[in-house]
Amino acid sequence: MNSKEAFTATLAHTTPGRIVIDFGATPVTGIHVLVIKKLRAYYGLPDKPVKVTEPYQMLGEVDQELMEILGVDVLGLSPRTNIFGFENSGWKGFKAWWGQEVMVPEMFITKTESNGDLLLYPEGNTSVAPSGRMPSTGFFFDAIIRQKPFEEAMLKVDDNLEEFKPITEEDLAYWDRQVKNISRSNKGIIANFGGTALGDIALVPAPFLLNPKGIRDISEWYMSSLVRPDFMKELFDRQTDIAIDNLKRLYGVVGNKIDVVYMCGNDFGTQQSTFCDVQTFGELYLPYYRKMNDWIHRHTEWKTFKHSCGAVETLIESFIEAGFDVLNPVQVNATGMDPYHLKKKYGDRIVFWGGGVDTQKVLAFGTPGDVKKQVTRLCSVFAEGGGFVFNTVHNIQANVPVENVAAMVETLRKLNGLN
Amino acid sequence: MINDHILERIAHCVEFGKSDLKSPYPPDLKGQEGAQELTRAALDMGIDPGLILSAGLVKGMERIGAKFRANQVFVPHVLMSAKAMTAAMEHLKPLFLSGEVKRRGTFVIGTVAGDLHDIGKNIVAMMVEGGGWEVLNLGVDVRDGQFMDAVNSFPGCIIGLSALLTTTMVSMEKTTRAIKEINPTTRVLIGGAPVTEEFCESIGADFYTPYPQDAVDYINRLVPL
Repeated sequence: MNSKEAFTATLAHTTPGRIVIDFGATPVTGIHVLVIKKLRAYYGLPDKPVKVTEPYQMLGEVDQELMEILGVDVLGLSPRTNIFGFENSGWKGFKAWWGQEVMVPEMFITKTESNGDLLLYPEGNTSVAPSGRMPSTGFFFDAIIRQKPFEEAMLKVDDNLEEFKPITEEDLAYWDRQVKNISRSNKGIIANFGGTALGDIALVPAPFLLNPKGIRDISEWYMSSLVRPDFMKELFDRQTDIAIDNLKRLYGVVGNKIDVVYMCGNDFGTQQSTFCDVQTFGELYLPYYRKMNDWIHRHTEWKTFKHSCGAVETLIESFIEAGFDVLNPVQVNATGMDPYHLKKKYGDRIVFWGGGVDTQKVLAFGTPGDVKKQVTRLCSVFAEGGGFVFNTVHNIQANVPVENVAAMVETLRKLNGLN
Repeated sequence: MINDHILERIAHCVEFGKSDLKSPYPPDLKGQEGAQELTRAALDMGIDPGLILSAGLVKGMERIGAKFRANQVFVPHVLMSAKAMTAAMEHLKPLFLSGEVKRRGTFVIGTVAGDLHDIGKNIVAMMVEGGGWEVLNLGVDVRDGQFMDAVNSFPGCIIGLSALLTTTMVSMEKTTRAIKEINPTTRVLIGGAPVTEEFCESIGADFYTPYPQDAVDYINRLVPL
């Protein structure tokens, strides 16, 4: 069974005969650029400035050489423009504050504040206010909130709909090139088309827009679910219709050459609980998610991928009802997210993509022995009967010891019967 | 009796996030006065501002904090309550400054160096303020020096440190140790998604909790009204 066959088998909840692995296919299953550098050195690969493929979280490129070593089965296709609204093209050198030489897109144009913070601009346009900030001792960017004062009566859904537009010919041509590029690949494919996320809290501040209007403050957005639910419903309703029209056109270009669509990264969980109850999810989100997922399932062979950090056990039934096929990152150390329980209750109805090792404690602060033990245990729980794609719980952060990543990779190779 | 009634209404508005007359939330209180107007009215009635704080705002925040801890309400509800409390506080703050109303003490809070996340930190800040404390919110990406300046400027203050990222837990340790070095008796509370009791003990901090209301209860036990 090659990677693609094993991947599609596990998505279909049948046993692929081995652990299927993703490192780097999505913005939530990647590896920080500093860890990529260390991994390359660890495995004796030539030192080179690593490409920053996702500048917001400073995720690094898992290239062909590293993919082979890590045993990667899945390739990811990203949108034409990144979260800061510029293309990942025209690569140039950049030295990060931690001393690493990396490659960044040409529109990755920064300014340094007097306190050492690094500022990044939407579309690389320094004539507008910056939209991203990396603290002088931080390892990635966070959105700068550019909320304008507003009068309740003057709020317009159109302002929050600015980023959801009919797909352009330029974008369709881009996706055509993307699928042609991977036509000879024998790996599984996940595509992140964009436009299908509902209220993704990372995207609400719109770091990609030059001059965002509407509700862009995170707390205000959360409160909107109580204060102005009708505003949110209208936004999601109109956004969903645009998304489905775009998906139709995208399907015309990419067909069934992709296997999975990255739909939404909105986090519904905290460490202990959720951001809303089942009823609110059912009223505010579920109908729109289901409309998009239903269209996909009726017209394509694609599976759909939902990311949500945190203690979302109480919402998993709703995610399934909304039509999602895949849940990520399966935060196994959050309240109620016991792996045995999750697998038993939901494992035959939703694919767990992630949950292979806890990143808040074990991978970051444990020993290689701790990592091996946990990876072995969690794989034995999640992989039984298929329906599992191995990934850590969210991206591998800059502080993770390379020995721990290597211990994880070694354990996976052993489980897969490789030397 | 009338006093009890208006204080209970203030507590109710804070608990259910009714800021002012204009606020459409919660729907069942639409068109009614909110925490802001009722606090003003209570002061005009001559009710002791300390009583408005303890029997109105503190009570309302305690109730929402307890519900949040029990997963009966969620982050948006707590944000609405905090907004209502802040609206009421506008009328009480001048009285705090003039010394007419005493608060329990000063609570200094910030997200540690390298970390820009502030929702959890702000929720704790607002709940502590609602618990009758003066809160100095230093914001995000706060360096050791800023916390140490606060320790020197506000003798007896209690410190709260927040971190969302595993990569910034190291800053939490550094700041805690720096504070304890200049003043070993300063109490340091820590919180944030990746933080644990074990980590709290290992860095010499005094208290960890995943629940904001537990933090309020803890510091209230240290300094009873």
